[in-house]
Amino acid sequence: MTENQYQPIPQPEELEIREREDAMGAYLMMFAALGAGLPLPILNLVAAIIYYYINKGKSLFVRFHSLQSLLSQLPTSILNAVAVFWGARIIFLDYAFSDVFKGYLWLVGIANLIYIVFSIIGAVKARKGEMYYFLFFGRVSYQSVFKKKELDDHAVVNQPPKM
Amino acid sequence: MLTFDIKHQDRYSRGELLLRSFFGWLYIQIPHLFLLFFVGLWGAILRFISFFIVLFTGRYPESFFEFQVQLIRWQTRLNARIFNLADDYPPFGLDAKDEYIAVDVKYPERISRGLVLLRAFFGIIYVLIPHAFVLFFRLIWCQILVIIAWWIVLFTGEFPKSWHEFIVGTLRWQTRVNLYMWYMTDEYPPFTGKPLAQ
Repeated sequence: MTENQYQPIPQPEELEIREREDAMGAYLMMFAALGAGLPLPILNLVAAIIYYYINKGKSLFVRFHSLQSLLSQLPTSILNAVAVFWGARIIFLDYAFSDVFKGYLWLVGIANLIYIVFSIIGAVKARKGEMYYFLFFGRVSYQSVFKKKELDDHAVVNQPPKM
Repeated sequence: MLTFDIKHQDRYSRGELLLRSFFGWLYIQIPHLFLLFFVGLWGAILRFISFFIVLFTGRYPESFFEFQVQLIRWQTRLNARIFNLADDYPPFGLDAKDEYIAVDVKYPERISRGLVLLRAFFGIIYVLIPHAFVLFFRLIWCQILVIIAWWIVLFTGEFPKSWHEFIVGTLRWQTRVNLYMWYMTDEYPPFTGKPLAQ
């Protein structure tokens, strides 16, 4: 990864408070389902997607944190959705409340706990104007947001129709 | 803190009044309410998140605040037509401009964290119950005024100014209560619909 392939990273003193708050808000989308009053785990992901698209044009700093928050939600959203689907089958279709399901619930609980802790750390760092990189998702987000786009220098030439 | 006004027109269109009354649900309310449902849902999510942000930072995020003000503006544009307080079709969108509606809220640099907690736990008791009690009767009176004013506008083309002020005052009062309960201001909403000295 060479330095000149990437846009410069904004430093805390260069960022306005508004940018920092917008970046912090991205991580708090994990509470979206609670805010909407709907117990659908997938709603958090939908909210994160909406938030990303609303804010991606604001600044690289906000875009980076919004994307990192969105990507890091994917694993827990999938795990939660499966847990809800599985649980609904047990409740409504009389499937067995098996030990496998209990184990899965533990896994989901731990995954959510880790996700919440890291999101809170991310939110606090974003509010301070700091870049904070999650494992794997941080690098992907950085590359996606800060990598300079190659300009398409092939000028379009309009042609007459083929005779 | 709040600027809230709906312009009183010298003349109201009788044609628009009839059109709004019979088909308004179809061409005004359904499209606007459909969009406002989703925008309002987003507003509810942002309000919920703002609670935590204000609690920990003492500041309401500025872009969230602007969104809530734009949402209030949109709802006011629609309400003005539902109550026949303004002519013309209400513009769609959060950034839309409407010559009859003036709604603005001053952004507060700090919000009291203690008051945020107080509102979250006891807001129902000391804000919602007393204000809702008064607003309930005011809204009933507003409905009566709107029905009588409908006939007056139909025959004279004019909306009685004092009635217009009363209905706008009721909407203003409601908006003040909402702003307080949404943690957008620390000023307890006064028991009046009249505009306050800025």
